Amino acid sequence: MDVLTVKNLSVSFYRPTGEIEAVKNVSFSLRPGEILVIMGDTGCGKSVLCKSIVKLLPDIARIKTGQIFFQGKEITDYTEKGMQELRGTSFSMVFQNPMTALNPCMSVGAQIAEAVRLRCPEISRRELRNRVIELLELVELDCPKERAGQYPFQLSGGMAQRCVIATALAANPAVLFADEPTTSLDTEVQAQILDLFLELREKMGMAVIFITHNPKVAARVADRVALMRAGELYRIGDAEEIFEETIHNHH
Amino acid sequence: MRRRSLRKPYITIIEELIKFALSVFLLSVLVFTLARLAPGDPLYAYYGERVEKMSGQEQEAARERLGLDKPIPVQYMRWAKGAAHGDFGISYQYKRDVKEVIAGRIGNTLLLGGLGFVMIFILALFLGLFCAWREDKRADRVVCRIGTLTSCIPDFWLSLLLILVFSVWLGWLPSSGAYSVGAEKGFADRVRHLILPLAVVVLGHLWYYAYLVRNRLLEETRADYVLLARMKGLSGKQVLYRHCLRNVMPSYLSMMAIAFPHILGGTYVAETVFSYPGIGTLAYESARYQDYNLLMVVSLMTGILVILGNMFAKILNERIDPRMRLKREAQKEEVRGF
Ligand SMILES: Nc1ncnc2c1ncn2[C@@H]1O[C@H](COP(=O)(O)OP(=O)(O)O)[C@@H](O)[C@H]1O
Ligand SMILES: [Mg+2]
Repeated sequence: MDVLTVKNLSVSFYRPTGEIEAVKNVSFSLRPGEILVIMGDTGCGKSVLCKSIVKLLPDIARIKTGQIFFQGKEITDYTEKGMQELRGTSFSMVFQNPMTALNPCMSVGAQIAEAVRLRCPEISRRELRNRVIELLELVELDCPKERAGQYPFQLSGGMAQRCVIATALAANPAVLFADEPTTSLDTEVQAQILDLFLELREKMGMAVIFITHNPKVAARVADRVALMRAGELYRIGDAEEIFEETIHNHH
Repeated sequence: MRRRSLRKPYITIIEELIKFALSVFLLSVLVFTLARLAPGDPLYAYYGERVEKMSGQEQEAARERLGLDKPIPVQYMRWAKGAAHGDFGISYQYKRDVKEVIAGRIGNTLLLGGLGFVMIFILALFLGLFCAWREDKRADRVVCRIGTLTSCIPDFWLSLLLILVFSVWLGWLPSSGAYSVGAEKGFADRVRHLILPLAVVVLGHLWYYAYLVRNRLLEETRADYVLLARMKGLSGKQVLYRHCLRNVMPSYLSMMAIAFPHILGGTYVAETVFSYPGIGTLAYESARYQDYNLLMVVSLMTGILVILGNMFAKILNERIDPRMRLKREAQKEEVRGF
């Protein structure tokens, strides 16, 4: 069974100047353990699509039509309370800029610990600390013990992104949304983080929706690829198939 | 950067002290000179209406006795010499040592201003949080509108309104003084006299700070880290308290350190309208009646409070904000390593 199914989803922003259709009639499904890359130019609606699935859209945006199923159960009409249960355990997200995605006034260890404790409130201090170190080791951050006490501004972009990923993995999510997680990083670090995603997928078996506008990045991680343009998802298929096609079309 | 990092900590302290002393000195020269250049005759403060009946010669003699006949720099030197020994002269109006006059009143102002400050500090935080939590909902809009309204009403007008309602119409609360005659020690009586002036002090400042807290919090709720926190499964309210508030606190605390002298100094309207015997009324009288010695001390006290407030704000900011704190600690390490 598919972990996530989206059917005919449309999302609009309602501005005083009028309605902006950011996502138009999008349908796709996500298989267990796969990495689905959503590719498209900046502004085509990739981020809005993700945020509408986890219901973290700004107040001015609304899901107009469509259905969302998580493990066969419809969650389209879930209220905030229900979504809070799903976020963290079922859905998690990694963001484009790790420096701003972390709270600047909190040590990274505390931020990861918060995610752990939310799901097991009875955890002892010692266990919590061990779990945080464990997560930092999982994302291959070096010197995790020292790093846990540090603040985001003391870390490099790559290290900070590893911490964000550790936070996202704290409660073993079934689906990880990665919204351009390597766009703000140097090429070398970018490659390391991409490898990390592949490794984590092996170890933890979660499905990943990986957003990017970079075909090279897509080619490296994708099992399947979905193409978006101006709010529409117009093509979805196996990675090799899609890349062959696009190369064909270009020559 | 390098030069700065090698400086020993005690040099910074000495530097701060020199800056402090210099500021106080300049302030004293300024107030001293301006007070004397302002129109008006200090003899009125001393003799009242009797001045008009005094002959020119008698006036000259009085001036000489009070040391007002010399050029301003000479007068200043004399005042400074006395001040260095803790002698600030006498108040012309009260004909008593300035220190005594102030000592009799400062407790009242500290009570009014201090209590006002604490209430503003807590209520502003509370209101700001509430409004940020209910952003753009009905409750937020109503509070914002009431807040804007109260902050637009001038203090004296608000005072008169409160007197009219609570003293004249309802007769619940006294309209003036700090205590009833003969009941100087009664706690309940004290509180009853404090309520209206306190309300004016608090309402006069509250919304300014509450609105600032609200807007700073809302700025924070737009930050990226809020999304990550929400994705952990925290509710919007939890993110507001655990994350956004934490990021607003350093700037709020240093803002309130600067606000302290402001609020304490801002009690004078309430004190004047309610004839509350505090430093505010004293400052107003001393400026109005050319009571030079009193004016000097009151101005210097206020000035020192402002300077200390700013220094405290700076220290606080460096201690609380991890970015600034760690930068400082790194500098100290370097000093030790050197
Ligand atoms: N806050 C907003 N207000 C109005 N329109 C928005 C807002 N955020 C996004 N949009 C609209 O949604 C479209 C898609 O945005 P987004 O999903 O962020 O693009 P991307 O594919 O680069 O992630 C944008 O082109 C814009 O028209
Ligand atoms: Mg985007």
